[in-house]
Amino acid sequence: MPFRNPRRRAFALAAALAGAAVLSAPAAAASGPAQAQARGAHSQSTYSEADTASASSSGKTLTVGVTSTIDSLSPFLAQRALPTQIHRLMYDFLTNYDPTDDHPIGALATSWTTSADKLTWTYTIRDGMKWSDGQPVTAADAAWTYNLMMTNPDAATANGNFVANFAKVTATGNQLVITLKQPQSTMLALDVPIVPEHIWAGHVKDIGTFNNDTQFPVVGDGPFILTGYQKDQYLTLDANPDYWRGKPAFDHLVFKFYKDADSEVEALKKGEIDFVDGLTPAQYESLKGQSDIVTNDAPGKRFYALAVNPGATTATGQAFGDGSPALQNQQFRQALMYAIDTKTLVTKTLGGYGTTGSGYIPPVFSTYHWSPDPSTAYTYDPDKANQMLDAAGFKKGSDGMRTMPDGKPLNLRLMGETNRPDDTQDATYVAEFLKAVGIATTTSLVDQGKLGDTEVAGNFDLAFDSWTANPDPDAVLSIQTCATRPSAPGKTGATDDFLCDKNFDALYAKQITEYDPATRADDVKQMEQVLYTDAYINVLYYPDVLEAYRSDVIGSWDKQPQPKGVYWGQDGYWSFWSAKPAAASAASGSSSKSSSSSTGLVIGIVVVIVVVVGGGGLVLMRRRRTASAEERE
Amino acid sequence: MIADFRRRRAGMVGLGFLVLTALVALAAPLFISANDLSAAFAPGTPRQAPSGHFLLGTDAYGRSMVDVTIWGARISLTVGALATLLAVGIGALVGVVAGHFGGWTDTVLMRVTDWFLVLPVLVLATALASVLTPGVGTVVVAIGVTAWPTTARVVRAQTLSVESRPYIERAKALGGGHWHVMRVHILPNVMPLMLAQATLTVSAAILTEATLAFLGLSDPTKVSWGTTLQLARTVGAFSAGEWWILMPPGVAIVLVALAFTLVGRALEQVLNPRLQERM
Repeated sequence: MPFRNPRRRAFALAAALAGAAVLSAPAAAASGPAQAQARGAHSQSTYSEADTASASSSGKTLTVGVTSTIDSLSPFLAQRALPTQIHRLMYDFLTNYDPTDDHPIGALATSWTTSADKLTWTYTIRDGMKWSDGQPVTAADAAWTYNLMMTNPDAATANGNFVANFAKVTATGNQLVITLKQPQSTMLALDVPIVPEHIWAGHVKDIGTFNNDTQFPVVGDGPFILTGYQKDQYLTLDANPDYWRGKPAFDHLVFKFYKDADSEVEALKKGEIDFVDGLTPAQYESLKGQSDIVTNDAPGKRFYALAVNPGATTATGQAFGDGSPALQNQQFRQALMYAIDTKTLVTKTLGGYGTTGSGYIPPVFSTYHWSPDPSTAYTYDPDKANQMLDAAGFKKGSDGMRTMPDGKPLNLRLMGETNRPDDTQDATYVAEFLKAVGIATTTSLVDQGKLGDTEVAGNFDLAFDSWTANPDPDAVLSIQTCATRPSAPGKTGATDDFLCDKNFDALYAKQITEYDPATRADDVKQMEQVLYTDAYINVLYYPDVLEAYRSDVIGSWDKQPQPKGVYWGQDGYWSFWSAKPAAASAASGSSSKSSSSSTGLVIGIVVVIVVVVGGGGLVLMRRRRTASAEERE
Repeated sequence: MIADFRRRRAGMVGLGFLVLTALVALAAPLFISANDLSAAFAPGTPRQAPSGHFLLGTDAYGRSMVDVTIWGARISLTVGALATLLAVGIGALVGVVAGHFGGWTDTVLMRVTDWFLVLPVLVLATALASVLTPGVGTVVVAIGVTAWPTTARVVRAQTLSVESRPYIERAKALGGGHWHVMRVHILPNVMPLMLAQATLTVSAAILTEATLAFLGLSDPTKVSWGTTLQLARTVGAFSAGEWWILMPPGVAIVLVALAFTLVGRALEQVLNPRLQERM
């Protein structure tokens, strides 16, 4: 596919400004497979067409716009969502998730058995698979990968949690045998890329710093092979002709990095990219109904919650931080939820593209999702909130604002991230809802790193909190257990919100050893009920994923789950692997691809120029005049 | 002097516009209720196009853009005024002290001034605003401490010129101390210059406020022109083509900044007739 003449000059300015807006946005500190939403972190420089020589070679190309960044391309180090997705394309995992309903299916492993004591898992490795350099893929490669993560702390950076409970991993012939310390119900959800031993054995020494981006093509066994990468500019992959499930129909897959979703939307309209995800409701609606563009609105895998500081403690129970004591009152916390109208948040912030909150696991994972009985659900009821607050002793003063039961003033600090679009709006709404029941709040929106620091120090009252769940709920549940709290005050721990509930922990320990799916699902649902009643992590809503693609380039591709699912952020590689190019008409249609309406963008850019450049211009102008004032004397 | 100013049509137009804007901003609470500006209980649905009911449509919260733009003037003008007060205050102090004492004091103060002068204002203000807690106060401080060097330079120049006049020598001979000379003789002479400088600084301050708010460094829950634009960008109104959210605050910023510049220029010409041939 030849590159169309991109008229993106004007974007350079808008993009540069967006870059300035996130001058101080540091890399995400998300850990584990259930990563904090990475969208909103912007890349540092624009994509340059000249740099993708490899993409312009023959064959069909699918180009994807992304705004997030890559922390590392090493499967042992990468923690952010984007590289994790790309590893799905580069390496096969032991198991995969079915595209229709997310249940675990075979991938590198074709079958598996469990011993009677639940401690030994034996996987049969697929015959005839080859690495892209021709070497066979063996059980020894898998054993080597796991053993490295078990013995080398650097190699455990990204996925160490998956092997923490492994006692021994051995390979004999095509059998991979994993012996566990404790039974572990997540053995079919080991989201760990298996790497070729013959390549990686040479990198054991520098495994903590090797980013797997020095020698291309990178040897892999997934449906695509990584052929090139320029930080924050582009990443290219070629179809693996020998992939065991079948060669992908697109020959090349290119990821282009953009500063913000606005420029991605324009690029999609012009046909510079063929797919974009993470659209705002306004962008989504503007793309709806455009010719040659198909939009997709699917339930997301993410919850968006209001986290309440329970009184930060260390793993040994030492209290620290300065969370408001009011929040240790359960009735007070529940009253907060009765005071907030989550329907308004969904209609306004999400433009209706989402579902109001209930259980901790999003409804898209129907096996594990729990909803409260309507009689106990926190439905919007300010009168009830007022009654509960009165009953709990938080009396209203003469100004209509409530005080602590001991008469001290009550003012909750509400925190959010500047680069998570929802937070600004939701902070405004939540502050108003709470004010309506007499609770004063002070809102501060800070950058991701600063919010992280404040939370780690325990110096907050309320904070917006968002996590992506996986088909297996273990990881996202584990961050609410007592043991994940920090070892010392102010230290980073895996904990999300310093939560420590004995009932929750008991159920957590039970579900991880439960091999019967139905019983385990029941346990998980009970855990969600505990969280709901505790009201420390209050799920406000589950945002939909809004995506769009060019139907003149992509003829068809698979969603996950089906029928209402996503193309981007799948658990697996289904969309890119299954994508079929559109019929031949695509080539002639390029002239019609210039955007039909970019009025808003033009106005936006003009306004931005005035605001930003104008400020600088005035200063310059006045400096010149000052200089002449000097001369006059 | 007032008559002189009156003859300058551009200055008068600017002044008239500013008075009108200030009056509307001051009177805003009389015709815009708290409910009109409520986000959660907003009168309209988010991002509505202009209609008979909402002449300029609604913003991302569903508030009338007319109300939001008028209310935004309050913060923008307040921040502009406060930041200017701070900037001109620091500038005048540095300028008068440097010009009066001369010598080492002058050298040191002027080198500091030069240093601030070459620093890009926006970058310095951005850095300051991101270190301090985001909020309106921070924006005032960030603009104030970055915008003073020009005033300091101008005031120092005028101070030097006043210092060389014979009556200053006389005052000193009669036993007038530093404080006396600076307060009684110099300050009244640099005052008009400070006034002109202030009007020019205001427009820059308003623009910088909008810029900082647009970059997300102000308090986004407060209604100002900058935060309105910032919100529009956040929700993707730019690429969605929702011009009615972008236009009103954008145009308001341009007009107010222009008006202040017109007034400031006119004032400068009145106070310093030698500038006229250059204009």
